[in-house]
Amino acid sequence: MIEIEHLTKRYGAAAIVDDVSFRVEEGTVAAVVGTSGAGKSTLLRMINRLVEPSAGRVLIDGQDTMAIPEDALRHRIGYVIQGYGLFPHRTVAENIATVPRLLGWDRRQIAARVEELLDLFGLDPAEFAKKFPHQLSGGEQQRVGVARALAARPALLLMDEPFGALDPVIRHKAQDELLSIQRRLGTTVVLVTHDMNEAFHLADRIAVMNQGRLLQYAAPAELLTRPAEAFVEQLVGSAERPFRLLSLMRVQEAVEPGTAEGEPLSVADTLHDALSRLIWLGREVLPVADASGAPVGRISVSRILAHGRARA
Amino acid sequence: MNTILQTTVPGMHSSRSHIILDRLGSVIAVLISIALFAAPFATYRANRIVAGEGRMLTEALPTAGALGVTAVILCVALCAVLARAPVIRLAAAAAGLGAVFPALGWSAGFLTPAGNTFARVSPALGFWLLTLALALLAADALTRLRLGPLARLAALAVAAGAIAGLLLSGAWNDLSLLKEYANRADSFWREARQHLWLALGSMAAACLVGLPLGILAHRFRALRAAVLQVLSIVQTVPSIALFGILIAPLGYLAAHVPLAAALGIRGIGAAPAFIALFLYSLLPVVGNTVTGLSQVPPAVTDAARGMGLSRRQRLLEVELPLALPVILAGVRIVLVQNLGLATVAALIGGGGFGTFVFQGIGQTAIDLVLLGAVPTVALSFAAAVILDAMIDLAKGPSHDRD
Amino acid sequence: MSLRSSAPRVAALLLLVAFVTAPQLFSFAFEPLTANNAPAIYNQGSLLSLTLSHLRIVFLATLASTMLALALGIFVTRPSGHEFLPLSRSLVNIGQTFPPIAVLAIAVPLVGFGEKPTFIALFLYGLLPIFENTLSGLTGVSPQALDAAKGMGMSPRQRLFQVELPLALPVILAGIRLSVIISLGTATIGSTVAAKGLGEVIIAGLQSNNVAFVLQGGLVVALLAVLIHDGLGIAERVAARRSGRPLDEAR
Repeated sequence: MIEIEHLTKRYGAAAIVDDVSFRVEEGTVAAVVGTSGAGKSTLLRMINRLVEPSAGRVLIDGQDTMAIPEDALRHRIGYVIQGYGLFPHRTVAENIATVPRLLGWDRRQIAARVEELLDLFGLDPAEFAKKFPHQLSGGEQQRVGVARALAARPALLLMDEPFGALDPVIRHKAQDELLSIQRRLGTTVVLVTHDMNEAFHLADRIAVMNQGRLLQYAAPAELLTRPAEAFVEQLVGSAERPFRLLSLMRVQEAVEPGTAEGEPLSVADTLHDALSRLIWLGREVLPVADASGAPVGRISVSRILAHGRARA
Repeated sequence: MNTILQTTVPGMHSSRSHIILDRLGSVIAVLISIALFAAPFATYRANRIVAGEGRMLTEALPTAGALGVTAVILCVALCAVLARAPVIRLAAAAAGLGAVFPALGWSAGFLTPAGNTFARVSPALGFWLLTLALALLAADALTRLRLGPLARLAALAVAAGAIAGLLLSGAWNDLSLLKEYANRADSFWREARQHLWLALGSMAAACLVGLPLGILAHRFRALRAAVLQVLSIVQTVPSIALFGILIAPLGYLAAHVPLAAALGIRGIGAAPAFIALFLYSLLPVVGNTVTGLSQVPPAVTDAARGMGLSRRQRLLEVELPLALPVILAGVRIVLVQNLGLATVAALIGGGGFGTFVFQGIGQTAIDLVLLGAVPTVALSFAAAVILDAMIDLAKGPSHDRD
Repeated sequence: MSLRSSAPRVAALLLLVAFVTAPQLFSFAFEPLTANNAPAIYNQGSLLSLTLSHLRIVFLATLASTMLALALGIFVTRPSGHEFLPLSRSLVNIGQTFPPIAVLAIAVPLVGFGEKPTFIALFLYGLLPIFENTLSGLTGVSPQALDAAKGMGMSPRQRLFQVELPLALPVILAGIRLSVIISLGTATIGSTVAAKGLGEVIIAGLQSNNVAFVLQGGLVVALLAVLIHDGLGIAERVAARRSGRPLDEAR
């Protein structure tokens, strides 16, 4: 668990981060969003002390980060940046092994961990271990960057625009992959992004920042339905609101008893995807099946629309 | 964005209230103290050949003068340590140089017994250290001021004017360096002309040949690789070796082709030096022309093409103007390099300032060496400043320095 | 390195070695250049020992300049030396307007004739290219790689030795190569101040009006320079490949 308490960074008279407090629960993903210059990256960099706070503190599992030597602190925290910062003079395997080597793991342990991570990210060790970063595609570089950050099994992963350099198709895949790995490992993630879709897609809670201040820290749905300030409303996009809301909800929540013709939707699909299918096929209702394929009911356009309405 | 903020913000220190010692300034102050109190300011020799004896500043000047100069220099040191504003530091450096340089001439007059024409006074370690320290201070201040090209040219002109004024006023006439000059005033200017002819003439020839060659090499890939490779091998050959290699064929030419001999081409002399300097100059000119042209954004040439500019128009109106700063950077390399290398020409009878340098080495007369070396360094330095300013001007106001 | 491209190198090297070890074998080529029965091949000393002492002084001077220039370059790119960075850049710029021969000439009256002034000139002038390239190599390291290194908890020392220096190595090597080439030339001129080296052959030729000496001295120095330039170029490319950059990116 990360507790950020009254964190402030001033350069001269200007406060880049101004008295920000929030808490990220164990095993969840928090996204920090805002326009550029809002202080997102500085906030993130204060967590691993790449930037020293002017005031306030950060607690990781109750321990003040100031009480831990800088380097030791960073060994425990995964860090992924835009562009990844892979070391061009080191192979993929050596890149991933960076922190374990700093920690003095023995050689066999490191080799095993590298192989495990390459497998986890779907990179064949035989093919990729010996490659240099410049021989990789953008998507592969991104995966190596995340694998490197996770190498020493950190409980916390900090990510600064980790998908910013990817094209939309690969970006979406990389986000899904990150989400599934995060769920599997139970890593706590703090992610900085200016892409609202990314934040809604990945985050359990979203922190909205503007000019150094934290405007709202809430679950995605709450951000949509109860924006704290006009700026938040504008940032989440008022025109997109219903669709964003629908994409946060699963078919499970809107399923009704009954049957219908056609290929069934899954309970795990988002309402956004379900509505999309209904419109495209020109149907009012479609059947719904559970994960094993057994029919559990049906879903209708009107029920979906009701879920996308503003809640007073 | 925030990575920028990570590095320290300039000016942050100055906002603190307590006094902060400038670290470079402290180094300069230490140099100045050594120069003032632990090193001889001038060297006195009874005649040109015998070994010299060092004279401390206090011995080299009348007491009042020595105290005055010391006081000025100590004030400068204090400025270097305490003042942070570049303008103040520059002014301090200028004031210091304005005291030390005339003081050297004064000490020469003071140390030379009246009517003695054999005695020689030369600058000693203390003077050189002071000059070094003050020049460091000035260079640092100028670097921090980040002057524009025109301001830098003006600063150069002021410095050149000050030095010319000092020399013309006769304040340095008692100095050994100027006595060497007085003995050789005619040959000095002859060698100066020869030096400039060697350096600038070969550069002009290299531009005349190198620019078209660079344009061709840019157009034809195969030519580019071959030309650049050959030229870079030529560049690798040390100057004196290249002179030596050229002497044989030129000597042959002079002996067997009357026209060549009539044109003044001989194995030994200026011809091999001129040709060697010309060959050395080709690589920077051709190489930078190719680089400059290949750096023109394809979108720009494409647009020019789309607007119906002919090949020739594209080259003259778009590509060459855009490549100009890079081409000028090549010319700068050539000019500085040639001004320096032309000194070596004296070794094969090619003349130039090197004549004095090698004569000086032969006679172990440091002032004679300086008579050749100082103008060479001054010329190279001025050439570098002027060309740098031209490059900045060619880049236009849209580009920041750096 | 294909066989075709390395063949001329090997041939040049063999020719050079053959010439300096057994110059008499080549006298037929230089005889036409002599007059009045002057010797065709340099006879006032062994070419081999001249070559070796030439190389020795260049090597020692470059070693010394490399160590100092690297240390200075590292110092001014650390936070503690940052204040000196702009000035050191200007100094390098100014320093390079001094012709090497001027440095050599000024050193003579200070330390006398012989190897010493040559060593000083080679050392001082050799500092500039290495320092300049160390600076540009170290400041050219990608900020992302540095940020990542810091973020993973590398200490400043680990960052320097594991990230910055390896990445800057090809550029630093290019500086060393430039420095060596300049030193080879300056050492040749060093013979005018009585340093033992290949310049002796050329100068003896100039003094006795023997074009054959001048030419063979010039050729040996030229071959030596081209071969060393080439050899160091190969080392540089290997380093560039090791640092994971495509060949054309590291100059």
